[in-house]
Amino acid sequence: MNPRLAHLLVRLYPHPWRERYGVEFEALLQTAGGGLRASANVVWSALCERVFPTPGLKIEQDRFQSLCVRAPWGMFGLVPLFLLAVAWFVALLILWSGWKIFLPGADTPFVPIDDMREVCYFNIGRSLYFGAPILIGWGIGLVAIRQRSKAFWPTVGLVLIALIAGTAQVHASRTAVPVGLGHISMSFILGHSVHGVPDGLLHALLILSITLLPWVVGRLQKALYLST
Amino acid sequence: MVHYSDPPLLVLASLANGPKHGHAMIEDIVRLCGTRLGPGTLYGAIARLEQQGWIKPLPPEERRRPYRITAEGVRVLRAKLTTLRQFTKAGLERLEAS
Repeated sequence: MNPRLAHLLVRLYPHPWRERYGVEFEALLQTAGGGLRASANVVWSALCERVFPTPGLKIEQDRFQSLCVRAPWGMFGLVPLFLLAVAWFVALLILWSGWKIFLPGADTPFVPIDDMREVCYFNIGRSLYFGAPILIGWGIGLVAIRQRSKAFWPTVGLVLIALIAGTAQVHASRTAVPVGLGHISMSFILGHSVHGVPDGLLHALLILSITLLPWVVGRLQKALYLST
Repeated sequence: MVHYSDPPLLVLASLANGPKHGHAMIEDIVRLCGTRLGPGTLYGAIARLEQQGWIKPLPPEERRRPYRITAEGVRVLRAKLTTLRQFTKAGLERLEAS
């Protein structure tokens, strides 16, 4: 393998791992032959090492880690809420601007559209709106697993994000003046009851299940590791 | 051909007949069972086996570092291979009986 590529690939691993195995691993990459398959294998292994570090290897106590220990309520509660607020603000801004640009005469942006450009534009906002809670939830799970945090605050963060995302609704309205200013607003309601359970809670449960995936993967990985 | 893929076990089996460095392990495992471990997979297994105390690093030769299996590693390897042998035997017996 090209020495430069080998060096770059080794840099993908976390610092404590590189300190211990970096030199010999780089030598192996240079002698063992490269190819796309070997490079992909190294990238995947480096990612796994970052998410599930080898137990026992000295982990650097960096500022981020110490924050997770000293202020878990902030790292797993406030930061995800702030990120969700930012993501939704951007998503609603896309919706509002799309309404202004593509549908200036419509009373609501929630109308069927055919133009591919408009579909793409609105879908960016839609993906951000629906994807943000899940991505943030996965982020909480991955950080909690990596930092080996106690389960309480990550769970609070996950439930909070799922509840907010499950009960959120977006409304669009215009002022009474013809072609007046369009308003986008949000509300948080539990919604209609399906078999006695409000559908807002069902949505929250669905989001929570998806966001718990990293934890489940982590547990499986750990079980696999213990069985070897 | 079906390749057997349990990287930690393959690494232990490769070191059972003497110390080896990474590249030698990859080639030895290919000869042993036809599986070519990726470099990342190999070092993932090496790191975990070393932390478990089943293999030990030897002084480096230039930039390459050989590893040897420990007594605990030999015990674990023997136990795993014995289980595999029993499993293989039972499986083959069932196939022959059917």
